Amino acid sequence: MKSSITRRKFMAATGGVAAGLTALGATPSKVFAGEKTVKIGFLAALTGDAAGWGLPGLYGVEIWAEQINAAGGLEMGGEKYMVEIISYDDEFDAVKATVGAKKLLFEDEVSIVLMLGVTPVLAVKDFMTRNKMLTTTLVPTDISADAPYLFAPVEVHPFYNVTAVDYIARNMPHIKTAAIATQNDELGLSSLATYRAAFEVAGIEIIEENLFGFEVTDFAPVVSKLIAANPDVITWDTAYPDYVNLLTEQAFLQGYKGQFVNCTLDQYDHILSKTSVEFLEGFLWQFPDLDDPIMQGPDTHFDNAAAFYKTYAERYPGAWTAVSWEYAAALEMWRAAVAAAGTFDPPTVAEQLRTLSPVPHAFGDAEWWGEQFFGVNSAALGKWPVVQMQNGKAVIVEMGDVRAWCDQHLDVLKKHFVELGVPLAG
Amino acid sequence: MTDLELILQTVLNSLIASSFTAIFAVGLVLIFGIMQIVNFAHGALYMVGAYATWYLYAEVGLPFFASIVLATLLTMAIGLLMERALFRPMRGNLFGGLIVSVGMMFVLEVLVVYLFGQGLMKNMTPYFKESWHAFGIESVTISHSRLFVFAIAAFILVTFWLFMSRTRLGWAMRACAQNPEAAALQGIGIGKISMLAMAISAAMAGMGGAVMSPLVRITPQMGHPVLVTAFIVMIVGGMGSIEGALIAAVAYSFFHTFVTTYIGGEIATILGLALMLLVLIVKPTGIMGARESV
Repeated sequence: MKSSITRRKFMAATGGVAAGLTALGATPSKVFAGEKTVKIGFLAALTGDAAGWGLPGLYGVEIWAEQINAAGGLEMGGEKYMVEIISYDDEFDAVKATVGAKKLLFEDEVSIVLMLGVTPVLAVKDFMTRNKMLTTTLVPTDISADAPYLFAPVEVHPFYNVTAVDYIARNMPHIKTAAIATQNDELGLSSLATYRAAFEVAGIEIIEENLFGFEVTDFAPVVSKLIAANPDVITWDTAYPDYVNLLTEQAFLQGYKGQFVNCTLDQYDHILSKTSVEFLEGFLWQFPDLDDPIMQGPDTHFDNAAAFYKTYAERYPGAWTAVSWEYAAALEMWRAAVAAAGTFDPPTVAEQLRTLSPVPHAFGDAEWWGEQFFGVNSAALGKWPVVQMQNGKAVIVEMGDVRAWCDQHLDVLKKHFVELGVPLAG
Repeated sequence: MTDLELILQTVLNSLIASSFTAIFAVGLVLIFGIMQIVNFAHGALYMVGAYATWYLYAEVGLPFFASIVLATLLTMAIGLLMERALFRPMRGNLFGGLIVSVGMMFVLEVLVVYLFGQGLMKNMTPYFKESWHAFGIESVTISHSRLFVFAIAAFILVTFWLFMSRTRLGWAMRACAQNPEAAALQGIGIGKISMLAMAISAAMAGMGGAVMSPLVRITPQMGHPVLVTAFIVMIVGGMGSIEGALIAAVAYSFFHTFVTTYIGGEIATILGLALMLLVLIVKPTGIMGARESV
């Protein structure tokens, strides 16, 4: 193992320092004097438990902005605008999210705010609505009829989790029982409701569930109990990236030999190094590497997906996670709406965004969905990939139809959300 | 896995948890016993041990065991610095000591953020990747990394016990804990004993972090939950009682691990705190607090 503290890593670390020291440190990208700019706000966790779903997304957004700026800027109304990313660390905390939102709107005057979801989004939702700010979330349970400027344009967490379970039901008929462990929070519970529904529809019995708190430092007993139930398949649900890492390692060390299905498998190179290629072979999850051949096909809508992935992997080796591309994908959609609207004005762009049909989602054509569930059609729902580990590499094995599943089994989904007390709308 | 096999597995998990909790809590109790300071930075020293091991082993490429030794020496040095600059002036001042230790905790946490950034967990490939099938049973396993933690903890605790019970320095430390003034009148250098105690305590925390680093999330706040556990152990065992801390560490770890396995992690923490309250109600001085101190 050689030293890998590079200048770039040092710079990244320094960025983290700023966040840690000031709790809310603004980190604007380059400002181009004399050039017209459009400002984009990024408000998500850059530190703390949820940082794995914030910081890698910021890296992706910065790469996206660099590519736009390198090509001369973002076109609107016949003119080119340089893109400036302004980020704040909300630490997945409601108060810090509120402070960050106010800064982005009143001081930085951004045109769109990209957020992770759940607690921080719910904290600023009314504020964003009052100020007619176009905001995106990765968690559609945040959207509601009283928030017309809030969209879930990319990720339909946790609903897409049904596709991998559906894949198991069709391709692995020997799997009859499942065990679930995850952290007891909004993300974990909404995902648990979805997995319960998916397993019920698939005819797979859940024989063990374990909800753990954030104070857990030793996952050995959690995994021991799960394995003791002898499940055919284990899922860590939507556990945080670090938890998935440690839980999977524990399962390896305790000799688990069954199937895995999970929401994420972030930084899977690290998990491979802790376990083995053989152990992870066949692991199913929901987030592809963008260099997958399917992502280069005509049915998807993420320009230069392979180039984006290559740049990302070179610049941030081992840092690729579920969200690395998602905030950038939201901006791709925003870019299409801006071009059509001929303005950056957030409410006008939001109105334009809502008229897109089909919605040009990264994984293919989608439609705005959610009225039956959340009271408003603000979540882009369509296809979502089922990803499988094959020889140490993520491979898309099929594009599942989330919308069709939801349309067919909405009652089952709702039933489990209600049973777990998860709000149907944010 | 049968019910009996799960019980065996849980016993093994509990033993590993006990060993780590014991070395961590004993270090905390030692400082309280000698210096009357509740060291909130003890968890941060554990964190520094883990970070140093990760950096030296996974980033610099030093051998794993050399990384552990260097990480331990680093935390020992930080401990000595803390004793000389912060704790010695606050000796006997419970509130002052608490405040400076909290301050030191934040300083160390911000320092690692400054040096290594924050966000994604620091990953390291474990030195030991194999597991041992206990008692020849295929489904009852314990990883070699955990066995290593157990072996190191057992070695440290036995060595520490021998040191405290068989050496003049150990007797001097016990004397300082029982009656500092009388110890000073006997010619025992209180300052030197305090430094020694702090070096041992910091080394225990640092080595704990070092050997646990392949098994846990390496983050700047990783010491917080461990510190809470150690406080529970310290209170249940009896403030300042090393014997009490050892008994409480084993009892608490078995209790917490079994409840986590059979009921759930959240309930385990709640019941652990309830157990502490129960002990305090029945025996306010803790298990060994009234009878014996360091």
